[in-house]
Amino acid sequence: MTGMTIQWAALVLCAIAAAVRIPGALRGRGRTMCAALLLLTLAVGLSIAPVYNPVDAVLGGVNGANLLLRMTLYAVFVLLGVRVAAAFASPLAHRLVVGPFGLAVLGLTVAATLYFFGASELPFSSVGLGAFDDQATVQEYAAVGRLYPGYVAACLVLPTALSMLDRRSRPSHRVAGALLSSSFLLVVVFVVLRLTSLELLDWNVILPFSAIVLLVLGLGLIWLSHMLARRRSARDTGLS
Amino acid sequence: MAVTARAFQLWRTRIAPHDSVSDLCRIADVKRSTLAQQLVRGKVSVPTVVSIARGYGVPVVDALSEFNGFEDLPDGLAEPTDAELLSQISHIDILRLLVARSEAKESGSDMPPDLAPFPHRASVRAWIEAIDPGDLRQQLAVSTGVARQNLSAQLTAGRLAPWIAVQAGRIAGVSLASGLVVTGLITPEEGGWPEDGRDRALRAVPDLDLVLLARDRLDVLGRQMRRTELDDGRDRAIWENLA
Repeated sequence: MTGMTIQWAALVLCAIAAAVRIPGALRGRGRTMCAALLLLTLAVGLSIAPVYNPVDAVLGGVNGANLLLRMTLYAVFVLLGVRVAAAFASPLAHRLVVGPFGLAVLGLTVAATLYFFGASELPFSSVGLGAFDDQATVQEYAAVGRLYPGYVAACLVLPTALSMLDRRSRPSHRVAGALLSSSFLLVVVFVVLRLTSLELLDWNVILPFSAIVLLVLGLGLIWLSHMLARRRSARDTGLS
Repeated sequence: MAVTARAFQLWRTRIAPHDSVSDLCRIADVKRSTLAQQLVRGKVSVPTVVSIARGYGVPVVDALSEFNGFEDLPDGLAEPTDAELLSQISHIDILRLLVARSEAKESGSDMPPDLAPFPHRASVRAWIEAIDPGDLRQQLAVSTGVARQNLSAQLTAGRLAPWIAVQAGRIAGVSLASGLVVTGLITPEEGGWPEDGRDRALRAVPDLDLVLLARDRLDVLGRQMRRTELDDGRDRAIWENLA
């Protein structure tokens, strides 16, 4: 029950965060982040049966929607990785995400995802491929799908956490840094826990979707502070 | 920090024995809800005391001396030092005088500078730096029990709690009212700062010292602007990438 609630909450928040950025994006401001949030909304939607089933039906009913969900999520993490690394001035994180090594990891992930997807028997629509959990290739497919987000999140935990500790930056950005940092940390914790033999039960849903909620709240705060600052406009250099 | 409600009640029955709290608020132009809340909490803020003293025509310094921590205020009043006076002159006024003097060497007339009012945002920090015998911040932290970080934060924000400002005056051996003047709690007249004091102090600065003073001020301004620019750059990076 909690799982369902948080999934819907995440979906609504993502949709709102994406929607408020659309007017700006149409005028050419913040297009990448708007796209990232739209993709994230799509990914969250595809994790929920009422959205997954009709979409998958359109795509042929053989769980192509799940593959779409994976690829969307990878795209979201690449975009986020690049933008968060740049925003929090971390060249190291930037290199780790889109440097040669990062791109190699991404390539391998995409290739492995396609391979395991093709190697699985998926005759009918099932959200999260829950009905085929007993197949080894489906388990590998899911594991690969978690590892890449986990990798990118791990690269971003530190830069965002440092911004939270920076006493000189504005409070709203410190809070946003804290939200983003906890979000990425949750992703890492979730991925690591899944590597152990622990039974996560409800936490399988609560952990990743809490991470999404925190992420969207952090980004929303930054968007808000930007809007307010634009309103105050007239840049003051301190000469007066 | 504030004065206790008990001490406040004793004081106000002395200066206005027949007035109720509402009368007090009306005469002193203090919001009733504010004072009522402060009384309930048992602590009345120093600015409230100052407003009420002004409303009843009681000298502000004498009024404050009735309260714990400010008893020695009237005896500690003195003329502000030249360094204090100069610290309250903006860099623009200093530069204007510098330019006026440079031009006067040619034209023969010295422009009378019309000094910008004070206190302003940088007043408190400039004052602390002007009276600092060397380890003022350290001594302040030790004697008031307020952490250095907290003191720095107050100075950066252009604030200083009244009792800390008075304590700074005690440590530096300057007029105890000066700290209250530069924090804007009391007016220069109430604190015994002569009206033309800054003007006189500035005019008395010899050319060489004026140039050095201007250089120091520009130095401070440059550092501030660099910091602002750095902060701006950081904000812009976050906004451009994530907003």
